[in-house]
Amino acid sequence: MNIVIAQSDVATAYGWGLDALWNGLLSGKTAIRPTERFAERGFLSNQVAMIPGLEVEKGESRAMAMLRRLLPRGVGKIDPSTPLILATTVGEIEYIERAILNGRPDLAADARPQVLLRRVKRLLGLNGPGLVYSSACASSAAAVTRAASMIRRGEAKKVLVVTCDAVSEFVYSGFSTLLSLCEEPARPFDAQRSGLTLGEAAAWALLSSDDALDSNSAASILGWGNTTDAVHMTAPDRNAVGLSRAIAKACAMAGRSAGEVSFIAAHGTATRYSDAMELLAFSGAITEPKPIFSLKGGVGHTLAATGLVQLLVAGRAMSHGLVPATVGLLTPDPSAVEWAHDAPVPLGRAPLALSTNSGFGGVNTAILLGGGAQS
Amino acid sequence: MIRAIAWFCADHHGVFVPGGRSWQKPSPALSPSAEILALIGRPVNYYARMTIESRFCLCAASVALGATGWRESANPEIGLACAGSDGCLAANQEYFRDYVACGRALGRGNLFIYTLPTSVLGEVAIVLSLTGPSLFIHDDVRPLPALARHAQQLVADGEADGMLALWSDSQAALCMTVEAGDDDKAISALLSKPDSSPSRLARDFQLMVQQV
Repeated sequence: MNIVIAQSDVATAYGWGLDALWNGLLSGKTAIRPTERFAERGFLSNQVAMIPGLEVEKGESRAMAMLRRLLPRGVGKIDPSTPLILATTVGEIEYIERAILNGRPDLAADARPQVLLRRVKRLLGLNGPGLVYSSACASSAAAVTRAASMIRRGEAKKVLVVTCDAVSEFVYSGFSTLLSLCEEPARPFDAQRSGLTLGEAAAWALLSSDDALDSNSAASILGWGNTTDAVHMTAPDRNAVGLSRAIAKACAMAGRSAGEVSFIAAHGTATRYSDAMELLAFSGAITEPKPIFSLKGGVGHTLAATGLVQLLVAGRAMSHGLVPATVGLLTPDPSAVEWAHDAPVPLGRAPLALSTNSGFGGVNTAILLGGGAQS
Repeated sequence: MIRAIAWFCADHHGVFVPGGRSWQKPSPALSPSAEILALIGRPVNYYARMTIESRFCLCAASVALGATGWRESANPEIGLACAGSDGCLAANQEYFRDYVACGRALGRGNLFIYTLPTSVLGEVAIVLSLTGPSLFIHDDVRPLPALARHAQQLVADGEADGMLALWSDSQAALCMTVEAGDDDKAISALLSKPDSSPSRLARDFQLMVQQV
């Protein structure tokens, strides 16, 4: 049985829909902008990648505002009993901010992830099982692997994965405190990279077994691996052992060798250590350089959402035969030469994609993607 | 199958092993001490920095791991899963309250790093060298049985040789050791009780061990 991404949609700083994201990446222009939102706070950076035209209703969270507009565009037609997995790191964190800044402690409980899960189920009229899945910045990638497992073991024919994380003062202040933010738009895999830019995104994907497919799909989930470094709470393992094991597990599950990978959708945060760790893992698994790309110079680091957004772009790359450039890349890091590119790279036939994510707590997820299927 | 369930709360800790050696004892104080470090059984560099919930979880996971014998096999890949109705709500409030109180310009990194639902797992993984998946999995209807089931599925899928499934709050932590195989019915019934708070379950398991 093949497990495919049957339907999907996404909202990023490039706009609403995968076309906007794809065209934005191909344009080579970043959607990261300076913001006045935190001007009085004195943070390390004023750069941010926020979704344009997002209308937030009074009392609503940005995460819910994203989902309220994004989900009904396509999800509304699915079977109400479809299992839902919601992937987020901080979800509706504004309720904590409001509780403390406005002296309204009663609001804090609304920041719990299962509250957002209930809101999403209500929005979509879903009455099936619902799960919150969180694994730091690998959350949505890990959620996709769980959905694929549920389908493979016959628990469900289709599983809906929804992911979101918004830019908030809470998160921005935290990354500023950790000295992780770049003063200019992030430049993944660049020799002069100096940190990440925060972004926000929401996305959903309906995973399906190919025998239950009712539309064409762009990508199949062939294998995956989830691991932990067990080295440091925020920094990656400089020896890349955890990510290397995740890649090996994904390849083993798929029955493919890493050398067959045609291109890589990398996490690529643009922090010095994380990018170096990824490149070490890639060069250890795949001896001959393959094109890699990171979305984060274009749409920032979208936290929990980044894994699923990468998968959707990787699917588009396979169907269009083109690997997008890494936006913001000027001079590749010496270890990224021949891997990271400042212009799109054409793909051969029957490509095989690897998508990787890593996050706080040393988590790593690797997913191997193949071409899609026809209904 | 759930091979053992360990618990740690302020008053008592122990482990229930169906058909095996179960025990329970008064708990040492959670502050850094030789007694706590002996219970954990591994070097801990940052114990004093950890949140109370992280300390409960680390102690419960250490007791659970000691009851499994997993360490005796070569390089077992052990993963971590956790659930909890509040996620990391208390840690989130602590970070942001402190950030506001300090002038709303610079937060504290050592508070910010606990603001993810999986932060607790990161600490446990580092101290106990656990390299399998680390996941927060919260089911909206029956969170505790679902946590155990998902941990079992991760083992069945070959993602880990075993899983530690943690159920915790600011009062207590429970840690189930999960392997492939069928469940003990008595344990399954306990996990499905309406009041399945970590403190309540710790008391239930303490009573079960006393009866054994």
